[in-house]
Amino acid sequence: MPVVPRTDTDTFADLYERTFPRVYAYVASLLRDRSAAEDVTAQAFERAYRKRTSYRERRGSREAWLFGIARNAALDELRRRKRRARLEADPEDTAAVGADDHAELALQRELVRTAMTALDGRERDLLALKFSAGLSNAEIATVLGVSETAAGTRLHRTLTKLRKACNDAS
Amino acid sequence: MTHPEDIATVERQLAAVESALAGGEAVHEDPVARELQELALQLRADSPQADPAFAEQLRARVEAGFPAPAESARARQDAALERLAASARRAPSRFGKLLLPVAGVGVPLLLIVVVIFAAGGPPGSNGGGGGGGDEAASGGGSEAPSAAALEPPARDGGFVPRQRNRRIERSFTLELGVPLDDMARVADRVTAVTSRHGGFVLSSSVDTGEDGGGGDFSLRIPTGQLRPALRDLAGLAPVIRQSQEGRDVTRDHVTAQDRLRAARAERRSLLRRLEAAATDEEAEAIRRRLELVGGEINGLRSQLRDLRLRTDYAVVTVSLLVDEDGQGGASGGGGPFDDAVDDAGDLLVGFAGVLIRVLALALPLGAIALAAWLAARGVRRRRRESALA
Repeated sequence: MPVVPRTDTDTFADLYERTFPRVYAYVASLLRDRSAAEDVTAQAFERAYRKRTSYRERRGSREAWLFGIARNAALDELRRRKRRARLEADPEDTAAVGADDHAELALQRELVRTAMTALDGRERDLLALKFSAGLSNAEIATVLGVSETAAGTRLHRTLTKLRKACNDAS
Repeated sequence: MTHPEDIATVERQLAAVESALAGGEAVHEDPVARELQELALQLRADSPQADPAFAEQLRARVEAGFPAPAESARARQDAALERLAASARRAPSRFGKLLLPVAGVGVPLLLIVVVIFAAGGPPGSNGGGGGGGDEAASGGGSEAPSAAALEPPARDGGFVPRQRNRRIERSFTLELGVPLDDMARVADRVTAVTSRHGGFVLSSSVDTGEDGGGGDFSLRIPTGQLRPALRDLAGLAPVIRQSQEGRDVTRDHVTAQDRLRAARAERRSLLRRLEAAATDEEAEAIRRRLELVGGEINGLRSQLRDLRLRTDYAVVTVSLLVDEDGQGGASGGGGPFDDAVDDAGDLLVGFAGVLIRVLALALPLGAIALAAWLAARGVRRRRRESALA
C-alpha cells in the first residue's frame, strides 16, 4: 500500500523537508564534489518523487527507501564518472572550517579526514549512512540489503578501524 | 566464531555511540567507548552542508511536483527526452518487481499451453492417447469398463512392421448396464450415436418387456470415427464389459491386388492375341481363356471390395443388459441434466490433466526464470556497488 499517494505532493514535501540536509550530506560525503552532490541530490529527490507510489511500508521506513534511491543515484554517478580514483584520494573540502572553529577542533577534524583515507569505499559509505544521513542501524540494513546485526557489526568494525587509523596518525 | 564477550563489547560500544549521537556529548567511562563516541560526534559534525540557495531551489521544484523546464524549444525537447527516459525507467521499476517474476512464469506457461493445444489438443481429446493400439490390434479382449480402455488402436496400428497403408479388421464388443425403464431411450441413443459418426446399424433387437429386457446392436462404424464413437457409446451407460479384436489382412489385400493386376495384364495380352489370331480354333481357345480370366478378375474385385468394407468399417457389437441396481448409466439415468453434469465433469478432468502437465513444465521453467531474474538483480547491484570497491 503506497504511503505517499500519487497526488499528495504535500506529503512528499514533508519528506523533503525532513530529509534534504541529510540526503545532501550523505551524497556529498560519497561523491566529495559539491556540484555533483547537488545534481545527484536533485536527481534522487526527483526519482523518489516519480517512484513515490512504489514505496511499500513493509520494506522499511520512508527514509530508508529514499536513501536507497539516493545511494543508487550516487553510485551511478560514481560509476559514470569513473571516480573510483577520486574516492581513494583526499576528499574535497565539502565543509570548510569556519572562522570561529577552534584550532584544536580544526586539527581533530583534519586528523579524522586523514584517517578516512585508510577506509575503503564501502566503509566510507557505511559511515556516511550512519553519521551524515543519520540513519539507524535498521535503516542502514534496509538500504544495504543486510541484516541489522550485520549492519551493526560492520559499523563497529569500521569505527574501530577509523579509531585505530586516527591513533596511528596522531 | 565471535566470542560472546566480543559480542557484548560490540553491543556496548555501539550503544555508547548511539548515546553520544542522541546526547551530543562523549562521556562514557570506558576510554575506548568514549573515543568511539568522540569519533561519531566528529563525523556527524563534519557532515557536508548544502548551499541554502540550492536547498531553496530544490524545495521549489518539489513543491511544484518537479515540472519540466520549458524555457526554450531545446529545453522542451530535452524535457521530452527526459520524460521518455524517465518513463522507460519508471515502467520496470513500478511494475518490474512484480511483473518480471510473473512474466517469467507466465510466458513459459503460455507457450506450453499453445504448444500443447497446437500438438493436438488437451489429453483425453480425440487427438491424444492412442495407447493400447498394438494390444487391440493383436486381438484379445479386456475387462476394463472405462471409456479410456475402449480407445481403438491407431488406424495404422502395427501388424506388419514397416508396412504402410495396413488393412486391419477391427471389432469391438460393448456390454452396457441399463435400467429397464431406460432401455428404450438408450437404444435410441445407440442408433443416434452411430448415425452421428457416419456409421449404420446392420442389425438390432431391443426388448423392453416387464419380465426382462435387453438389446443387441450390430453396428458398422467408419474406422476414422471409431474413437469418438466408442467414447460416446461408452458414455451412454456404465460399461459392464468390453472387448476388442483386430486382425491384420494387409497380406490378403496385397495378394488380391497383385493377383488382380496379373489377371488384368493377362486379359490385355489375351485380347491382343485374339486380334492377331490366325485361325478360328485359336481364337476360340483364347476366348475361353478370356472368360476364365474375366471370372477371376470379378472374383478378385469382389474380394478386394469385401476387404475394403471390412477394414474401412469396424464391427461394433453393443449389448444392452438390464441393470438390476437401477443406478443408470453415465448419462443413462438422469436425462439431460445428468448428461450436462457428466460433460462438465469430463471437461474439468480434461483441464485438470492439462493443468498438471502445464505445471510440470512451467514450474521448473518459472523457477529458472526467477533464478535468472534474481541473478540479474544481484549482478546489477554488485556492478553498481563496484563503484565503492
